Amino acid sequence: MTANQQPTRPLPRGKLILATLGALIAATLIVLGAILPAEFNRDPLGVGKLTGLSRLWAPAETNVDANKGSVVRVHEYATAPRTDVIEIPLGGFLTGADNSELEYKVAMKKDATLIYSWEVTGADRADDFHYDFHGHTTPKGQESMTVATYRQAFGLKQQGALTAPFDGIQGWQFSNSSEHPVVVRLKITGFYDLIPGGQPGNEASVVANVPASQARPNAPAALKSAP
Amino acid sequence: MLSATVALAVAAFGAPALAHNIGGSDAAFVAATRGPDPLPFMYLGAKHMVTGYDHLLFLVGVIFFLFRFRDIALYVSLFSLGHSITLLAGVYFKLQVDPHLVDAIIGLSVAYKAFDNLSGFKTLVGVQPDPRLAVFGFGLIHGFGLATKLQALNLNRDGLLANLVSFNLGVEIGQVIALSIILLAMTLWRRSRTFEPAAAWANVLLMLAGFVLAGQQIAGYVFGGAVT
Repeated sequence: MTANQQPTRPLPRGKLILATLGALIAATLIVLGAILPAEFNRDPLGVGKLTGLSRLWAPAETNVDANKGSVVRVHEYATAPRTDVIEIPLGGFLTGADNSELEYKVAMKKDATLIYSWEVTGADRADDFHYDFHGHTTPKGQESMTVATYRQAFGLKQQGALTAPFDGIQGWQFSNSSEHPVVVRLKITGFYDLIPGGQPGNEASVVANVPASQARPNAPAALKSAP
Repeated sequence: MLSATVALAVAAFGAPALAHNIGGSDAAFVAATRGPDPLPFMYLGAKHMVTGYDHLLFLVGVIFFLFRFRDIALYVSLFSLGHSITLLAGVYFKLQVDPHLVDAIIGLSVAYKAFDNLSGFKTLVGVQPDPRLAVFGFGLIHGFGLATKLQALNLNRDGLLANLVSFNLGVEIGQVIALSIILLAMTLWRRSRTFEPAAAWANVLLMLAGFVLAGQQIAGYVFGGAVT
């Protein structure tokens, strides 16, 4: 050992080559057969699947605090969810407001959720049909009313989800301003109750889950043969 | 005692997903620090060194056949000098290299040292590279690895130099602690009769561990993600 050299234990040439190549091959096998399947979700040799090492791999997870922020993301309810399809025939605007407009709402508890989707058939233009999506409380006696307006617009369809801001009734005022009769096909699902005909929210006595021709028994005969 | 080396080698690829990063609450602490905060940074430096098995395996390789205290002190000082330079300069001047590539070279440095311990270069090429130069050079690269990881943590410029020097001092303290344990184990092993016949194989295993570390980091470079 010279002054500037670290002492070593020499291996014979053949053994050294064998050992180095052996280490390289073993390392390659370990990386390809174990580390790639377990850490990188790659399995070039198929060994990961064979040994079950592939099952160790899992995508990186980032946890978010579901309760952080002002939006409550989860609501749980004691009642079962329901689903209804309501077909509402509306006459052309020349037949008068009683025929061409109506309000359809459902009763909801505060924080109950409603998933909705509706579409108008029979209208030619989007600006021939107006809707007012809103909700309000049903005050008794001298109580004041709380009102929330979600959307007032022209259009032929809408879909989304509503979480009720208070105990009350929630729904749509639909107005057909075209000359033709139309049908609104409303699909709702969630935590709500249908309102019996004649009561606030369903004054037009629309019947749910029947074809459009039977949905407005109180309306003039013309609507019963809706498109 | 061969089993100790095997255990060390196994440990090297037993927990690769956690390859030693500064992570979790430590990272949050570093990111939140404003101004000089020497003791915590010193602790982080020491922790990083003691839990950094790639640095530790390299140290095992370096002192494997060193018996005299003077030699040990010389080589370890060269290593420390090397990684201090690049740790301080790297962070201070914001030099960035992909951490996977740096860690791959650190893995190869383990294999290099083991190969050198077997007189590989002299036997195969007929030339013996100066081991002091090699240790110093790999020290530079190990320091660069530390610098890259520290920079990934959003260090605040306020009090940076003091914190860096503290971190570096911690790395040296951690190295002394780790080295004491490695030296104790090595000395006990050298006294036993199993050392001479098993020494070569231990270096072959060390070489294997180095190649695996390098391969794992190359995989991280190619596929991204998991191991850092």
